[in-house]
Amino acid sequence: MLMLIRGSAINEMRKNPYLIVGIIIIGILSLAAILAPLVSPYDPSLIDSQGLLMPPSPKHWLGTDSLGRDLFSRLVYGSRISLSIGIIAMGIATFLGLLLGAWAGFYGKFSDTLIMRFADIMLCFPTFFLILAVVAILEPSIYNIMIIIGLTSWMGPARLIRGEILSLKEREFIQAERALGATDARIIIRHLIPNAIGPVLVNATLGIAGAILLESGLSFLGLGVQPPIPSWGNILIESKSTLGIAWWITLFPGLAILVTILGFNFIAEGLKKVIG
Amino acid sequence: MSQGHKVTGKSMERLLEVKNLKVDFQLEKQLIHAVMGVDLSVNKNETVVLAGESGSGKTITALALTRILPPNASIVSGEIIFKGNNILDFNPKQMSGVRGKNIAYVFQEPTSYLNPVYTIGDQIAEVIILHQKLQRREAQARARELLEQVKINDLDRVLTSYPHQLSGGMNQRVFIAMSLACQPDLLIADEPTTSLDVTIEAQILKLLLELKEKLGFSLLFITHNLAIARKISHRVYVMYQGKVVEEALTSEIFDHPKHFHTQELIAAYQKIGKI
Repeated sequence: MLMLIRGSAINEMRKNPYLIVGIIIIGILSLAAILAPLVSPYDPSLIDSQGLLMPPSPKHWLGTDSLGRDLFSRLVYGSRISLSIGIIAMGIATFLGLLLGAWAGFYGKFSDTLIMRFADIMLCFPTFFLILAVVAILEPSIYNIMIIIGLTSWMGPARLIRGEILSLKEREFIQAERALGATDARIIIRHLIPNAIGPVLVNATLGIAGAILLESGLSFLGLGVQPPIPSWGNILIESKSTLGIAWWITLFPGLAILVTILGFNFIAEGLKKVIG
Repeated sequence: MSQGHKVTGKSMERLLEVKNLKVDFQLEKQLIHAVMGVDLSVNKNETVVLAGESGSGKTITALALTRILPPNASIVSGEIIFKGNNILDFNPKQMSGVRGKNIAYVFQEPTSYLNPVYTIGDQIAEVIILHQKLQRREAQARARELLEQVKINDLDRVLTSYPHQLSGGMNQRVFIAMSLACQPDLLIADEPTTSLDVTIEAQILKLLLELKEKLGFSLLFITHNLAIARKISHRVYVMYQGKVVEEALTSEIFDHPKHFHTQELIAAYQKIGKI
């Protein structure tokens, strides 16, 4: 983290088109999400019975859906849901991964075997169906989805951080820290994790994209975010029945998902170059 | 710089006493006896050199003193009496309190012993906060004082630099400053100048001795170079294949080396002198 703030890293960032494009895309999307009430021209759940399935026009930039709701406004509000699910779910996964991976890597032996074999078992499950099953039992609220996606995607970060810590803990400066009287917890938190965070950060950025896709998939199957709350996935599923006559309801949410994922992937790619 | 004749070592107060220390390494299929019954002592304000060839067990002995051995090594038997307490009886928390605060280290490769992601200023402040209840700002001010103490001139640049931006000699000064942050009673210097060139080596040795005079700690200096021992120490222990084979006052050992390994070490540096 600290390495990123260093002057030379900032210079390197400037020379890195992936990172710049990624940051611009995600910056605009996040701004739109935060300022949704100001950006969107209509209330996202305002039903206009006079204007059902209107194609894109100056009045409705991206057209209206089968209930006459403004598609642009719904996409803007939907970005709040999709982005926050992506970020929070990946936040949970990365935190858990850091904790378990660092523990396994640092203490090794029994705890390592226990944690990593558990991770292997989790990786064997088809995650999507596991989530489907859990959501079917619990109710599919936004918070449940965040937590469930988080709880089923910590294995990647955990493996990464474990590998990093396994090699870092043999380095001389860790011995020096111990000689200076640092406790295990301090060595892990203040010295090992900051040195290992780079690849985890790249992974987390990619993971956000993955979580957004997962949420869209879940919502598409009706087990994600429930209408009338708009998320990109459930706007897409509503478009299914009118696909033949109203192409815009399918195209634009799809594009929104595509651009967001592309943005996060660009950032991840760029970060990889800056950190690595 | 020669101090060899000033102290006899017997009338002084004991700081550290190691009795019959044995350290084993558990390798894949065999057990290696790295240290086989070492006895040594360090008095207050004394400079003691632990000399020996590579692999003689001197570094392992030094690491055993604060129990920072690698995980596959273990202390099999012995006593390490520091200020009247046997360190081997301490629990991990007590041990962390001793390390850095009572016994500090300086290592061979200064650059790789500093954390690459923190600036020098933050790194020294870390250690201060670890042992003393100071605010971050106070700790940073103290870090500045410590760097002044080790004779670093462009303080502002060094404080905000990362270890890889500084030279080896500079990093060694930084590391010494860090080790002395909490005014330890004993400083263990494990070949602190081996990776530096000769002029820097002389500067670092001089600095260590000056700081020792000023702050009054004891110095256990590990080296394979008896020329250094002659310059800085009161007493010398010579290790060979995991055992202390000779112990003598510095003033005597060069005239009457008893063990053949001591003779070899003396011959080695005289040979280099002739080139």
